[in-house]
Amino acid sequence: MINITTLLFLEFLKIGIFAIGGGYATIPFLFHLIDKYHWFWPKDLTNMIALSNMTPGPVGINMATYVGFTTGGLKGSLMATLGIITGPFIITLFVIFFINKYKQSQALKNILEGVKPAACALISVVLIQLVRDNLFIDAKFNPNAVIILVVLFFIFKYTKKFPSLIILAGGILGIISYIFQN
Amino acid sequence: MKPSLFEIFKLYFIIGLQLIGGGYVIYPLLKKYLIEDKNLLTEDELTDYLAISQCLPGIIALNVSIFSGYKLRKIKGAIIAVLGLLLPAFLIILLLANIILTYQENQIVKYFMFGVRLSIIVLITSMLYDIFKKIINSKFSIFIFLLILFASLYANISPTFLVIITIVISFLKGVNND
Repeated sequence: MINITTLLFLEFLKIGIFAIGGGYATIPFLFHLIDKYHWFWPKDLTNMIALSNMTPGPVGINMATYVGFTTGGLKGSLMATLGIITGPFIITLFVIFFINKYKQSQALKNILEGVKPAACALISVVLIQLVRDNLFIDAKFNPNAVIILVVLFFIFKYTKKFPSLIILAGGILGIISYIFQN
Repeated sequence: MKPSLFEIFKLYFIIGLQLIGGGYVIYPLLKKYLIEDKNLLTEDELTDYLAISQCLPGIIALNVSIFSGYKLRKIKGAIIAVLGLLLPAFLIILLLANIILTYQENQIVKYFMFGVRLSIIVLITSMLYDIFKKIINSKFSIFIFLLILFASLYANISPTFLVIITIVISFLKGVNND
């Protein structure tokens, strides 16, 4: 039986290697962890994405730290963070030694050409799940959520460059909807 | 003159503190601190690092830091650069995680987070829209997109396995074309 910190390290090692294409690419992998281990809920994960967007540091790493902490405490957060950086670290060093060969590798270009749309598809599935989880409460349509979402899309048009602003706006609208309900 | 390990740590720590938003934010930060202030890299080198990092697994900001850290002081430089870059994020997340876990049952906090989650839908939609325009541009990319979309929606296969399948298909397609 492996303990939870080792498991965290191994799972995040895998994510570090296979989540190609930036921080958001890690999200589908994290959702899969929910199905597999029930360490946290989809809601926690979405909170985590928000938090990572508002704080310094790469989103993928922040999420590793947060998931690690909520599942395995300080030790867990260290192991998850180490796990997600180990693979890329080794691969990048490897590339430094073989940099010229790598730059011209057609095989690698072909692979990336396929992996990027795949990452795109995986993130789309997450988006579908997020819409389902947040716009419906117990299979019933939540009108407040729809109104907030429309307003947020409108605000976003003008604040594109500042993701933290839109997250803050979301939070404030959430509180306003609470005041209206009571 | 080569910078000391402590200096490398300090530089990347300061950069790590300011690294909010996508991975590409690392570029202007490295440019300011390493090139303009200290003249430790050339701009061509930095552009190269960014281009290669985009094609590597892992987080772009991290890969660029490994490249540039390695340039400064070989393996030791790379390790120190990564530690410096990630330490601020690590500490801040630990602090916030504690706060969130303490207050998550509070009604106001609950509704705040309800709105926050909706804003994440907006952010992910916009991000997807942007990369969609850039990468879904050939029959092959549409094929892979739909294949993985339906496999993931209806078969509940792990993303790792789906990425491996994609790598195999793309590789074979490349071989076939040559």
